[in-house]
Amino acid sequence: MEASKAEPRIGVFICRCGFNIGGVVDVPAVAEYAKTLPHVVFAEEGLYTCSSAGLDSIKKEIEKFKLNRVIVASCTPATHEGLFQKTCEEAGLNKYLFEMANIREQCSWVHMRLPAEATEKAKDLIRMAAAKASYLEPQTETELDITPSALVIGGGITGITATLSLARQGFQVHLVEKEARLGGMLKHLYKLQPTEREAAEILREAIAAVKANSNICLHTSTHVTQVSGFIGNFNATLQSNNSSQAERIKAGTIIVATGAEEFKPTGLYGYKENQNVVTQLDLEQLLRNGNLKKPEKVVMIQCVGARERTGRTYCSRICCQVALNNAFQLKKLYPNTDVTILFRDIQTYGENEHFYKEARDNFVNFIRYDPNRPPKVTTGPDGNLLVTVYDTYLGAEIELESNLVVLSTPLVQHEDGKKLSSVLKVPLGADGFFFEVHPKLRPVEFASEGIYVCGTAHGPKDVVESVSQAYAAASKASIPMAAGKIKAGAVKASVNTEICVNCDACVVSCAFNAIEASPFGLPRVIEANCKGCGVCASECPMGAMQLKQFKDDQIIAAIEALFKTGEHKDAKGDFKPVILCFACQWCSYAAADLAGVSRIQYPPNVRVLRVPCSGRVDVLHVLKAFQSGADGVVITGCLIGDCHYIDGNVKAKERVDVMKKSMESLGIDQKRLEIGFASSSEGQKFATMMTDFVKQIEKLGPRPSRPKPRSEKLVHDSVKT
Amino acid sequence: MSKRSLAPHINLFDFSAREVAAKTKPGQFVIVRIDEDGERIPLTIANVDTEIGTVAVACHEVGKTTTQLGRLKEGDSILDLLGPLGKPARIEKFGTVICVGGGVMTAPLHFQAKAFRDAGNNVIGIVGATTKDHLIFLDEMGKTCNELYVATDDGTEGYKGIDFLKDLLRERKIDRVVAEGPILMMKAVSDLTRQDGIPTVVDLIPIMVDGMGMCGACRVTVGGKILFACVDGLEFDGHQVDFDELLARLKMYTPQEKLAYVFWEEGEKLR
Repeated sequence: MEASKAEPRIGVFICRCGFNIGGVVDVPAVAEYAKTLPHVVFAEEGLYTCSSAGLDSIKKEIEKFKLNRVIVASCTPATHEGLFQKTCEEAGLNKYLFEMANIREQCSWVHMRLPAEATEKAKDLIRMAAAKASYLEPQTETELDITPSALVIGGGITGITATLSLARQGFQVHLVEKEARLGGMLKHLYKLQPTEREAAEILREAIAAVKANSNICLHTSTHVTQVSGFIGNFNATLQSNNSSQAERIKAGTIIVATGAEEFKPTGLYGYKENQNVVTQLDLEQLLRNGNLKKPEKVVMIQCVGARERTGRTYCSRICCQVALNNAFQLKKLYPNTDVTILFRDIQTYGENEHFYKEARDNFVNFIRYDPNRPPKVTTGPDGNLLVTVYDTYLGAEIELESNLVVLSTPLVQHEDGKKLSSVLKVPLGADGFFFEVHPKLRPVEFASEGIYVCGTAHGPKDVVESVSQAYAAASKASIPMAAGKIKAGAVKASVNTEICVNCDACVVSCAFNAIEASPFGLPRVIEANCKGCGVCASECPMGAMQLKQFKDDQIIAAIEALFKTGEHKDAKGDFKPVILCFACQWCSYAAADLAGVSRIQYPPNVRVLRVPCSGRVDVLHVLKAFQSGADGVVITGCLIGDCHYIDGNVKAKERVDVMKKSMESLGIDQKRLEIGFASSSEGQKFATMMTDFVKQIEKLGPRPSRPKPRSEKLVHDSVKT
Repeated sequence: MSKRSLAPHINLFDFSAREVAAKTKPGQFVIVRIDEDGERIPLTIANVDTEIGTVAVACHEVGKTTTQLGRLKEGDSILDLLGPLGKPARIEKFGTVICVGGGVMTAPLHFQAKAFRDAGNNVIGIVGATTKDHLIFLDEMGKTCNELYVATDDGTEGYKGIDFLKDLLRERKIDRVVAEGPILMMKAVSDLTRQDGIPTVVDLIPIMVDGMGMCGACRVTVGGKILFACVDGLEFDGHQVDFDELLARLKMYTPQEKLAYVFWEEGEKLR
């Protein structure tokens, strides 16, 4: 019998967790209470539900009581949800018919001195879980085949390294390079530190290896103009400069290694006006080609067009070491040449610091300039250059004669990179470089599965760092290709086309390109691309778009169940607000867990409802909470910029802002709704947010039974017919 | 006002507005307001009857105001109806004209198709919708056009999608294409006709406030120039329109729109 259609038969397993829960919460009373809830046919306490005895008991009772929904009230789902789901599956119950109530991290550990309140809260959390469970539906997970071939875009040293790494593992690789020759930036460089090997030599070896490998299909003078599909099954259109016919290829994964270009400082310091003002890259080409006439005096200026107040605000990381290296090469060639470096701050991290010290001690003059009083370069009557700089250490202006001024400019994203960003629908950061999904934990991946980034496409890096990242990206890409299949979770968006009004709000809201619109407006969810954030469901004006496991009816059932008791007073008859907290399942839920693990105590008025992303919280859910009697509603999400779904938390914030403006018209004080953000390490912050919010609501008092009269009608100044 | 259901959640309204009806030409629109607190919404005129003095508009219930409109009953009236606004569509004898209508916009497109036929053109009609049940004005378009094609996104009726237009353009000599419907449909049609250089116009109806060129809410980028749909349109060169920007601008107020709808539907329970 299909579980979703049968009358729900819920079993509730309440864990004492030894003394952890049982020491605070009156577990027997909670178990007795659970038995009284609608559709609950079995409830029992256990010492450790996650023990093998506990798991056996779940399986046994599923069988005995013909349970078609299971709730475990114990710890955070972060640790044992998978284990309990597996146990349900072993007993023949679809794992999506399982629900958890967290009565440890969110109850016994954070209300240790308030056993009565903790017990009340545990009952509430179980009542919410049971209400939601009644609406759960079984789901099937799909398996996707992965095409064992990769598309590497960009044939510089980064792309070549990633390509070779994958090809040597036995995968087919299409390597696409826009120029006629492989090599990218390395084609223009002279000698690389710390080994002083010639860039040309390194390239020669790498290119020979590419040409010798039969797994590599090389496409030079080619651009990637179109990409569709998803992990395991990408289709890319390659347009060669030499042919009008485009080629279409298939790839399981894509690596972006498109590099960067040097910023050309036209108009700064006489660049392009005087031929003796060059960039570091120009200088390397002169050195490389042996075209440099001996200069008597060289002045280098650091941070030209970088670390600006707006625009290119970033430090390009490599320019200090590049300047040092080029100064070193100049000195080797012409030992009598004077080299002076005008800098703001020297950033020679790691081993490069030794190199800086050597330069400082032996052969280079360093002068620190003030960005508010930048150096000036003028051309004298003899054609020689005169550099005027305010030395911040001397506190005086110095004039330097020079035959050659070298400008250290940052690496910047190029036009082709920007185009590729829209072709692949992967984001660029504020600095213009490709933007990874998580700076610490997933540094070479995009949020769109199966697409990876490495090298200077991702931001300024030296060759060693680019090559390391290339190996990382290749390694990441090889995981799904080696497995040959990936299993996709079933928490995906799905659209009810009957009530869809074809407005495309879902299509526009999706950050993952997972909803495809047809010409007349019928949306189609590409499940392989859907990450399960639910933002589309909250944007849908009609409720036609839903997220499985977090459907409106499931969420609303939990909300309404919470406020069913209607008890907003304590034993003495004083106001005791009941507050609903929607917490995203990533950072903010983890922060709540950490508050629990750290035993940080906060008021017991808050009940957490877990949602995939704060962006899943719909205005309807908030309104339902207030309709049902909430004294306050708080939404928590990951820190802005850290959303696991790119910008779900930003959308949540926008929604809260518009709701705050409008809710007064319904007679609800806007201070009853707040949104806050916490990282998973901010347990204290989560506790403080909750404490402050409870105080704020206590100050407001109970909701007025008769709402304030509606605000005065807006005065229209529009023209009437 | 009188009302006729065309498809689920799509209605055709006839409003008595003699002066408006007398001045209306195909391609123009009205701005309606249901009540004092009401939002101003632009609706493209689908027909007029100058004798009895009515203006017809079709409306799909997609949010608060449109749903509120849809729930009005026969004989009800609305606060005001402002129009006709916008420039009339360019109706001339071009030769063979393809008129593509998508969803609710098929109704105003039919008004233009009639005018094209009356101007002596050979009119090929295409009526599209997401699914069979949402096709509207099939009979009217069938009577007006010399030929009629039907398409749906899910293929439940006629051709699946809009790609079949490619073959039609290849086989026939087409002098002009007029498309009125969802943004993505107008974009797809314009993309198909671009390579053959067939003049293609689309009717754009972005978010509007005053409808008279004052506020700039309805700005669209056409051939790199910023134009106002309310006074420069609704008709624009489909090959020049920045459809992506238009779509993004249309979704600018999605949270506010949903909020208005939910508060209207559910908020009463709180009062």
